[in-house]
Amino acid sequence: MLEWIQRGLGQGRITTRYPREPEPAPQGYRGSVEVLDADDPPPELASVCPTGAIAVAGRRWLTLDRGRCILCGECVRRAPERFAFRGEYETAGRSRAGLVVDGQRRAGEHATRKALGEQARMLRRSIHVRHIDCGSDGSEEWEILALWNPSYDIQRLGFFLTNAPRHADILLVTGGVTAPMRGPLERTWNVMPGPKALVAVGTDACSGGLARDGGLVAGGVDRALPVDVYVPGSPPAPIAIMHGLLLATGVLTEARAAA
Amino acid sequence: MSVTEQRAGIVRYPPEQFGAIREPAPAGEVRLSVAASAFASAATVMQEAGARFVSMFAADTPERSLVAAFALRGELVLVRAPAGGDRRASVSPVADGDTRARAPGEEIAFPGEATAFESIGAWWPAARWAERELAELHGLRFRGAEPAAPLTAPDADSLEDRQVSGLDAFSIPYGPVRSGIFEAVQFHIETGGEDVARIHTRPFFKRRGMETRFAGLAPDLGAHVAERIAGIAGCAYAAAFAQAVERALGVQPPPRAQRWRAVYCELERMACHLDVIAKQAETTALYVGQARFQILKEQVMRLRVGLTGNRFARGMIVPGGVRGEGMMDLGELLAALDSIERQLHRDRRMFLGTASMTDRLIGTGRLPRALVEEYGAVGPLARGSGLSTDARHERPYGNYVRVGPQVVSERDGDAMARVRVRFGELSESLRILRQAIDHLRRRDGQLQSALPAGGEGAACGWVEAPQGELLMWVEVADGTIGRVHVASPSLRNWALFDHAFPKDVLTDFAFIEHSFGLTPAGADR
Repeated sequence: MLEWIQRGLGQGRITTRYPREPEPAPQGYRGSVEVLDADDPPPELASVCPTGAIAVAGRRWLTLDRGRCILCGECVRRAPERFAFRGEYETAGRSRAGLVVDGQRRAGEHATRKALGEQARMLRRSIHVRHIDCGSDGSEEWEILALWNPSYDIQRLGFFLTNAPRHADILLVTGGVTAPMRGPLERTWNVMPGPKALVAVGTDACSGGLARDGGLVAGGVDRALPVDVYVPGSPPAPIAIMHGLLLATGVLTEARAAA
Repeated sequence: MSVTEQRAGIVRYPPEQFGAIREPAPAGEVRLSVAASAFASAATVMQEAGARFVSMFAADTPERSLVAAFALRGELVLVRAPAGGDRRASVSPVADGDTRARAPGEEIAFPGEATAFESIGAWWPAARWAERELAELHGLRFRGAEPAAPLTAPDADSLEDRQVSGLDAFSIPYGPVRSGIFEAVQFHIETGGEDVARIHTRPFFKRRGMETRFAGLAPDLGAHVAERIAGIAGCAYAAAFAQAVERALGVQPPPRAQRWRAVYCELERMACHLDVIAKQAETTALYVGQARFQILKEQVMRLRVGLTGNRFARGMIVPGGVRGEGMMDLGELLAALDSIERQLHRDRRMFLGTASMTDRLIGTGRLPRALVEEYGAVGPLARGSGLSTDARHERPYGNYVRVGPQVVSERDGDAMARVRVRFGELSESLRILRQAIDHLRRRDGQLQSALPAGGEGAACGWVEAPQGELLMWVEVADGTIGRVHVASPSLRNWALFDHAFPKDVLTDFAFIEHSFGLTPAGADR
């Protein structure tokens, strides 16, 4: 056992300092897609996207819905002058409409990184998180779980995992809600005490993703329950989910202030 | 009769003996066609020949049929019986360039008038779930199949399949909302308090209809769907899909693309195995050990970001080859792998030398070899029980034709054996990675072979995914994908979970579940 302790200490610090310090994405990381040029979009551009995230209307109207984007890069390959990958983590947003980007408007929450850290502090470092899978592809679970590994260690910000929904402040939902999971999802949410926040993790949870039109998936968690924070990405990286969780603490502090 | 046919045991069991007709097939596949009435007896012949049952599915090529796939001495034998009804245009015509057109999600392959078949699952447990899936989702009838609660439409509250009764016996429904961060699946644990009398696994809580999502897509778009069937094994799924399309169209991916695929698939295997080992350490509260293996897994994830820009190496494997070169300097990649191997070496020694860890694994969840064979289980689970089933070795594909993996096998059949298999395979993956990267460094070459426009055909593709052998049947018509069947290792292995508690108690549950290392997303599709 002593050897394990030594081994643990020998590692040194590898944990990210996010949100106190910025965490830049590695070079070439495909975190989100942005619209570079919205002028005169050809109407057939919309059909490039396998999940229908791209909308073309009129001469200067080209939008990309990150809540539907699975980051497959078909648009970037087909029209590199109009779309490009961006290496960013902070893609989460408090509203579904806020995930839609065009040439000028960039998505994302404008609260600064530091302010988000403060919000978590205001809750006295005790936020309990519960997760429920409603039809993900399994990768979102890995990325959520990674938050509690030494590289991200979200416990340092006061986020704890809880098994009991009655103890939970935040519910993380993955997947676009399959029929057999709808009942368990609603029941889990209903027994959580207020103030509470629901975070949809991953493009599948935001909109159903590729499974949306199959008829077996409701098409996004917000078809079943009100969503407070959307974290797009297929799957979102651990830092992106951490950003979403910090946004969710804002929901909790606002609710507390109102009470 | 060729050497491969002799090897495949067809000499002892000539197809004519059970009234089968040989049909043309791509290399590595033997396709036999029988009458519907002879389908079950053909399966008997296969079982006697020592075949492993792989899957059973509905196909539209060359006509509407029921197909059973068997692995028999280095060959894949597909036995097909026409199932009545006309070949229906299952793929809706696709408008030019519109990638969103698709067939509806719920699609019944065999409407009411379809032929009824003799049940195979009645005497071959491996076929049981496949049959129930076909009956429930595709309307096929099997005579002599045992009646059971619906498999594919589970109800979280129903306990109707409870069997154990008695004064002290009770049933614990565990899931689909799990404790911790796990995918949705439900277990009914029937217990008297400590001893586990019976476990009943209920998958399909997260069936998204991914197989039907392929219909009408161009092959390169199909790869995105394949990657998202089971996210943690996305490269394996994309590779199996790509190989099926390539075999159907008679295209050979260039050697350089095959090497890149091996790099992505082996990195994925490492990440999955490290994840399982970290979870095992967590269950015994060996937290430093857990952290160490999580750190190693994170290193692998970051290598994939360096290579592909995605933590799961998504978007790289496509039918015909790979989309591009890895972005990372290959010398750096080799150095990173060396560093991972050094750390892994020490962590493994410490893990296997920690008695509090190994005591909980030794003898836990013992699966006898005969049972594993009967259920046609695959992957580290089968190899932990003394089998040498490994698709890379049995039916080498892609890069593994040149670099044969050494199959890691353990005899004990317990959770410890499965952990040892995973440790062995981590070293083996590192060896294969080095060899592939070495080649990539020294030689240049093409990355993609063009797929013929408007190509047609149907074939199986297979890959050894981290969870076990993965088989995909893909039909291509007019250059777009039609019917797809995924025989996922997770679903096939899960059928064994009900038998994995011979002498184990309730507290062993987490150890045994993690030692299986399966993914519900892959099982439910």
